[in-house]
Amino acid sequence: MLIDNFLKNSASKYPDKTAIIHGNTRMTYSELLAISLNLAAALQGYGLRRGDRIIIALNNSAEYLIAYFGVQLAGGIVVAVNPDIKPRGLHKITADCKPSGIITNTGLIKLLEADKEKYPFSFILLHGESKTDGADNIPIYSFNECCKHEGSVDTVDRAETDIASIIYTSGTTGEPKGVMLMHKNLMANAHSIVNYLSLSEKDSVMVVLPFYYSYGNSLLLTHIMQGGTLVVDNRFMYPNVVLESMVREKVTGFAGVPSTFAILLNRSNLKSCPLPSLRYITQAGGPMPHVMANEILKAVPHAKLYIMYGQTEASARLSYLPPDDLYRKHGSVGKAIPGVTLHVLNEKNEQVKPGETGEIVAEGKNIMAGYWGKTEESAKILRNGRLYTGDMATVDEEGYIYILSRKSDMIKSGAHRIAPREIEEVILEHPNVFEAAVVGMEDAILGEAIHAYVVLKDGCICTEKELMRWCHENLPTYKIPKSFHFAESLPKTESGKIKKHELKKNYSPIEVSI
Amino acid sequence: MIEEQVRHFITENFLFGEEKKVADTDSFLENGIIDSTGVLEVVSFVEDTFNIKVKDEEMIPENLDSISNLANFIKRKQNGSN
Repeated sequence: MLIDNFLKNSASKYPDKTAIIHGNTRMTYSELLAISLNLAAALQGYGLRRGDRIIIALNNSAEYLIAYFGVQLAGGIVVAVNPDIKPRGLHKITADCKPSGIITNTGLIKLLEADKEKYPFSFILLHGESKTDGADNIPIYSFNECCKHEGSVDTVDRAETDIASIIYTSGTTGEPKGVMLMHKNLMANAHSIVNYLSLSEKDSVMVVLPFYYSYGNSLLLTHIMQGGTLVVDNRFMYPNVVLESMVREKVTGFAGVPSTFAILLNRSNLKSCPLPSLRYITQAGGPMPHVMANEILKAVPHAKLYIMYGQTEASARLSYLPPDDLYRKHGSVGKAIPGVTLHVLNEKNEQVKPGETGEIVAEGKNIMAGYWGKTEESAKILRNGRLYTGDMATVDEEGYIYILSRKSDMIKSGAHRIAPREIEEVILEHPNVFEAAVVGMEDAILGEAIHAYVVLKDGCICTEKELMRWCHENLPTYKIPKSFHFAESLPKTESGKIKKHELKKNYSPIEVSI
Repeated sequence: MIEEQVRHFITENFLFGEEKKVADTDSFLENGIIDSTGVLEVVSFVEDTFNIKVKDEEMIPENLDSISNLANFIKRKQNGSN
């Protein structure tokens, strides 16, 4: 089965049911399918063939869904990216997967025009107004016009082992890695999530997480698969506005990462806002402090809280802690989701005994095909049909898994996973900087906040503001360090490696009460 | 005066001193100037600089989502009318 069949099936079973609500836009399943087919026909007319990559750089919206399913129906591969991406990041991704087109809005078009020769696109699909005819002979077509295009979609002979989506994650080296997810991967994971959350066509979820990451993507697929409703609200910076939408639309589900819940608990009316329709809450994307879980359940006692764990490389989800076990198994990410087998293995590849530490290794139909164009890196973590996650954990006597640390030094900030190396490279390119190290420090809101340690070249002067501006020019906002600490030297091992744990140890985070 | 202080804070902390112009009525949200954690920084700035307390229910776009909305909100709070 192909993931666009989720949409076809739901449009057949529930043609008049609302698939997505965003602001004043409400789109039914039959409308969503019809418009997505129009777009697919237009894309094929622009030359899209089976397996071609198309970048989608749009915020969560009905247009995102149309673009997502339009590309799938045309036989293409979706490469969804943050629409706030900077040239540096976009160059790396386009150089890697060589997409034939991009679907974006007016914000990004200026960036494309400034650097035309660097992009391989045959066409640009623009949502919104444009004052230009094209970027160096790359034709620009109107997304809205394409949605009205009434051609027929050529049948494309596809298999469930075709790649449906490439999601870029920050590799530890700072180079983005394209996680190739096959139709069968996404389908298996969606089925499993639907199963353990008991999702049905009666469910509607408030989506504040971006669709371009795997957590948001799984919200999209599971609800479209079941004929449920996606309620999109991109105004989470004003959490009370989102709570009002949840009440108004009677949403049954809410999904967040730890920072989402920290904001809700610290800066919203959650504790006094009745959400009688809310049936469940899911949390993933890093450890959630126990006190925070308690506070959430105190605020919404009738909702079930699911703690989950996963990786983009696993299409999203690997394990969940059943709500009834929340207090009994505090701190655990639970056990494998249906259809997945999880092992915790020591260095000899043997199952660890309770209390011992090992690496989480996963098996299941949801495990990715590999990283796009990176055979060696893929082979390092995909061995004998298993995904070696890099996450270190222990198990208890009943088989519940407790994550202890990650092998790599990736920073988890908000909903983002960030490679320190990428930020360090940008800082090091500043002419006055001699040495730089970036670490994630504990932060009550973000989970981890980015902090940079910098050694300047002899005789050079540089302010924190100057370095922030430098990073702002070269990195998306969420990758800009919260602060820069200037030092005369950085602590190092005998082999010259920077001792990041020492930098972290010498820093005291500001406490925020929850 | 308040508008200037607000503008200076937004420019220095979210636009990193860029010359990019922000009109007084430009929405921070629609223009991608501030994200969800940025709003918390704005609230801290308002509370610390103007010695007022921003209640949770006051964290709405009408009070915070542009330079003029923010400045007007601060003035209303200082006058005790909010």
